[in-house]
Amino acid sequence: MTHNGRQKWIVVVAFTLVVLATGVFAVRTVRRAIYWRLHRDEVIRPWMSIPYVAHSYRLPPPVLYQSLGIPPQPHDRRPLRQIASEQNRSVDELISVLNDAIARERAAHPPNPRPSAPARSL
Amino acid sequence: MNITDHLLGALSQYGLPVLFGVIAIATVGIPLPISMMLVAAGSFVELGEMKLWQVIVVASAGAVLGDQIGYALGRWGGHRVVARIKRRRNGAAKIAQAEAFAKRWGAAGIFFTRWLITPLGPWLNLTSGMARYPWTRFFLWDLLGEVLWVVLYVMLGKIFSDRVQALVEILGNLAWVIVGLIAAVILGWKVLKYLQPGDSVKGRKIAT
Repeated sequence: MTHNGRQKWIVVVAFTLVVLATGVFAVRTVRRAIYWRLHRDEVIRPWMSIPYVAHSYRLPPPVLYQSLGIPPQPHDRRPLRQIASEQNRSVDELISVLNDAIARERAAHPPNPRPSAPARSL
Repeated sequence: MNITDHLLGALSQYGLPVLFGVIAIATVGIPLPISMMLVAAGSFVELGEMKLWQVIVVASAGAVLGDQIGYALGRWGGHRVVARIKRRRNGAAKIAQAEAFAKRWGAAGIFFTRWLITPLGPWLNLTSGMARYPWTRFFLWDLLGEVLWVVLYVMLGKIFSDRVQALVEILGNLAWVIVGLIAAVILGWKVLKYLQPGDSVKGRKIAT
């Protein structure tokens, strides 16, 4: 009886924990989906190539190449970390240069506002 | 820089061999960010850096190879574990029960853990091998499920090619929600049985 009673409690506790954990993951999923809908831009990471960053930010790749002082290359698959190492600088510095270039380009040519994501005032 | 950055950087630079190797290793049970690799590969397809059919064939082959290694480890490496369990009280009966369960639910388990509840995939490879689930059936369901998984993730990466990181975060959370829901239904069913008055004997047997 004691053994069965303990087994029941283990199942009830396990059920409660599973429901709680599932709830946490469900909330995280919904939050990520909402964030995704409102923020299109990816955070630039060292694995990305220049063509990928340009594609993600919907900018012509030559703008980014120019900011790094290198000629545009077709089918350039080098990740940013390799470009940074070729230029003897840290990948964080290189990403910062790219972010500045993106900000400048967008200030000069603002993208069309998306009707589905209204601007919010804080 | 974390391991994901290193692996995705290598994928971007060297392409298919990296995709094959990482997926094969991960499907054996080493935790590597393979969902991210597949989605990123889909994005590289969209950028014209990789070919769709090559990505699908190579990634599926890597996944199926890793699964076969996991199955073989369970089948030929798991006999010590099985022998130890058999020596215990009711051990032989439990092994027989596990084998019967694998044979009855094996196909669905193998198929759905390939693409829908992927976190359980490597575990099921081992247990299928240990339970001596027929290899040809394991291979066929595995192949079907893995191809579906690869096509699904690569196509998602291709469609949402400008936002692969956000997509993978959502998919990763969603996979655990599905695992959690399945576990909650199974455990909830047991809890309900315990709550039924005078019916505690029925609920005592745990099939797994």
